[in-house]
Amino acid sequence: MKDKSIRWGLPILLVLIAMPAVIHDAFFLRVITEAIMWIGLALAFDVLAGYTGYLNFGHGAFFGLGAYTTAILMMQAHWPFALALPMGGVLAGVGAFVAGLPTLRLKGAYFAIATWALSRAVQQLALIMDITGGPDGMRLPSFLNPQFFYYLMLAIVSVTFALLWFLLERSPFGLKLKAIREDDQGAMALGLNPTKLKMQAFILSAVPTGILGGVYAYWITFIDPASTLGDLVSDQALVMVVFGGMGTLIGPVIGALLIFAFKTLFWAYLSDFQLLYLIILGAVIALSVVFIPNGLWGTLRGLRFQKKDDEKKDEGLAAKLPQSEGD
Amino acid sequence: MAEPILKVNSVTKCFGGLTAVNDVSFQVQQGEIVGLLGPNGAGKTTLFNVISGYFAPTSGTIIFKGLDISGKPPYKLAARGIGRTFQVVKPFAGLTVLENIIIASFLRYPKQADAKRHAWQILENTGLADRADVSAASLTLAGRKRLEIGKALALEPTFLLLDEVVAGLNPTEADKTVELILELKKQGMTILIVEHIMRVIMNISDRLVVLNFGEKIAEGTAAEVARNPLVIEAYLGEAAA
Amino acid sequence: MELLPQALMDGILLGGIYITIAIAFSLTYGVMHIIDFAVGEWIMFGAFAGYYLNKWTGLDPFLLLPVVFIIFALIGYLVQPVIHRVLSGNKGNPLLMGLVFTFGLGIMFQGIALTVFGFYSNSTPSMFSEGSFFFEKFGFSLTISSIRLAGLIYALAITAALHYLLKKTNFGLGVRALALNRDSAGLMGVNGKQTGSLVYGLYVGVSAMTGVLIGCILSVSAQMGPEYTIFAFFVVVLAGMGYLAGVPWAALLLGMVQSIFLIYFNPGHTLLAVFAILYIILLISPRGLFGRGV
Repeated sequence: MKDKSIRWGLPILLVLIAMPAVIHDAFFLRVITEAIMWIGLALAFDVLAGYTGYLNFGHGAFFGLGAYTTAILMMQAHWPFALALPMGGVLAGVGAFVAGLPTLRLKGAYFAIATWALSRAVQQLALIMDITGGPDGMRLPSFLNPQFFYYLMLAIVSVTFALLWFLLERSPFGLKLKAIREDDQGAMALGLNPTKLKMQAFILSAVPTGILGGVYAYWITFIDPASTLGDLVSDQALVMVVFGGMGTLIGPVIGALLIFAFKTLFWAYLSDFQLLYLIILGAVIALSVVFIPNGLWGTLRGLRFQKKDDEKKDEGLAAKLPQSEGD
Repeated sequence: MAEPILKVNSVTKCFGGLTAVNDVSFQVQQGEIVGLLGPNGAGKTTLFNVISGYFAPTSGTIIFKGLDISGKPPYKLAARGIGRTFQVVKPFAGLTVLENIIIASFLRYPKQADAKRHAWQILENTGLADRADVSAASLTLAGRKRLEIGKALALEPTFLLLDEVVAGLNPTEADKTVELILELKKQGMTILIVEHIMRVIMNISDRLVVLNFGEKIAEGTAAEVARNPLVIEAYLGEAAA
Repeated sequence: MELLPQALMDGILLGGIYITIAIAFSLTYGVMHIIDFAVGEWIMFGAFAGYYLNKWTGLDPFLLLPVVFIIFALIGYLVQPVIHRVLSGNKGNPLLMGLVFTFGLGIMFQGIALTVFGFYSNSTPSMFSEGSFFFEKFGFSLTISSIRLAGLIYALAITAALHYLLKKTNFGLGVRALALNRDSAGLMGVNGKQTGSLVYGLYVGVSAMTGVLIGCILSVSAQMGPEYTIFAFFVVVLAGMGYLAGVPWAALLLGMVQSIFLIYFNPGHTLLAVFAILYIILLISPRGLFGRGV
């Protein structure tokens, strides 16, 4: 298993590192940079949704929190980007702690509501505060180096992927989260503290999201409540994860790539029908839930596993029959 | 007599206006199997949930190994050495049998590799080794009950609460489970067991505690309890109803 | 100070509307164990139905209420089996998927509404639109617009009707049994699927009717949905999820908070105040003001 992931991961990483040397088209590089960002956002969303079973409908708020923190520190406090960026992640983590405190003890429905309400409250807050520039948003100094942002985004998302892969697939933490997801009451009898684990997962999800927000702010050089704190970030992360497949690390990557490719094409050719995009997003979410509840990747993998499982079942039965006759 | 491992002191548990457990006291000695008996709705499972930390008692205390554990959350009690099974078995359905046990093993073996090794040992002991890689959801009822015991044992508890681990099994499977329980006792495990099947509970328990309508109506050896008029009435009453 | 009676009165009138939004919403949660993220969108569609039906027929929106109810109850009745299918799926986490489903539905509805109706804001005229009652006593003055009073009367009527339905009819008994315990209700012969469809239909119908009224009293726009979704959440969380008897009090409190902010503070801060209250309640008493939620 370990060999396999390195066999796949390493060449992909190398290709991605070499990419800017081959591609000189600025637009294309920009598209890939954003695609990588979305992979990161979808992965972070899945930590909570897929592995822990809690839906954060306010994912965008943590993205915005990181973006605004970085922007405010750079513009008002004149911090260098290298220091302001990690603070974006820290603040998103603190935000997750504060939001999780009353809600993570409760059923998932409360959490989903509360995070959704939170995203609206944060948006409202950014609209009325002076320090955020209100509805006009904030402009950051432009640093026009597409390659810098490409490599920064790539580095952050690669590290996030590796960290999540290690924590969720290779260490006890991942299995513990899955236990909470399956049955948090039962998990308590096995010595697991669900509230603490959920809090850790929430923070693990929020911190990279905030950092990506900070990079986005400096990259795009302009943030405002409508674009950075709007629903679109949460909605898109959700559709990527649900469509790609929750509870895996590959699913969100596939989902992010497909949905983002679709979005880019849609925006390029059908930009007059932006509302249609909203309808399609909603429809893809609803239809995925009904027809492929495990997402694309989960369904494909499920087909493979089912075959294996069926074979096993038959074997098990065959092995058992004579034995039970013997009893 | 040595200090009992578990002391239940006048425990009462109310839900709204309903008193599910009313002023129940009893003790369990180290190495004993105590059976908890009573008709449906007598408060057995509620009492289990109070002892294992799922409900805080409305009044009264639970003393485990000399410490007051009333109202402590289940995960802390698991660390102190209390293992339990659930009457309605709910394995982590999306995970494999092995993963289910590994999760429980983390309590004593925080490292993945150690936990896995320990889990395999538990699988061997509970006869689930050949099912290790199938999803827990695909197990039969007997398999699930076995998995439930396996998870509790993976915690390496000193005190085990078993909630109807035999009911619903066919005689062969039931005998295997009883064998397992007796083997655990031989190793020095203290067990409190709820069971509907009389044959089982009468045979394996050193002592019995009988509840009816949330109150303790009798306590003693199987023979003593079977002669108790209150117990006979409680069971005949149920049969007549 | 002289504005306080007016603020309280406005709060009660507004709170009445929120009762009808939240009571059906809470009932649906109690029976189906699902949060409908599309609640605000049903209200929005109802408001547009009232607006256009009034435009085409010239009938007063209050007379159109039964028509809107029937149309939307039917839509809800037809949509529910899909939700039921999602919730009874054995793959993944059905409750989680239910939430995702209604969330997706909400996004889709909003997209459709923006496409069809655009970004304009309107209001539906009614015979009660003009006119108001004016009181003056002990140095206080109080104005009650007749449309808001009509709204409150509607809310009370709906609440009474739902109360009767739940407490006095066989259908209501089945609903309450389902809310208490899904499995044993099934054993007692309650058809969970059928009852679920009826409850969902009832809820969508009532939400749409309330939407018609909101269109008369406040305004109709394609973007109005999420605000009411938040208000519905606020009320049910404050009341305790699934605890119907707490809904009126929580709804009145929401109305009060809103009207007080409107008069004394910056109206732009209302949502923040609502959120702050929600946060504190969840922190201190997660089962709502009365501690009776599920």
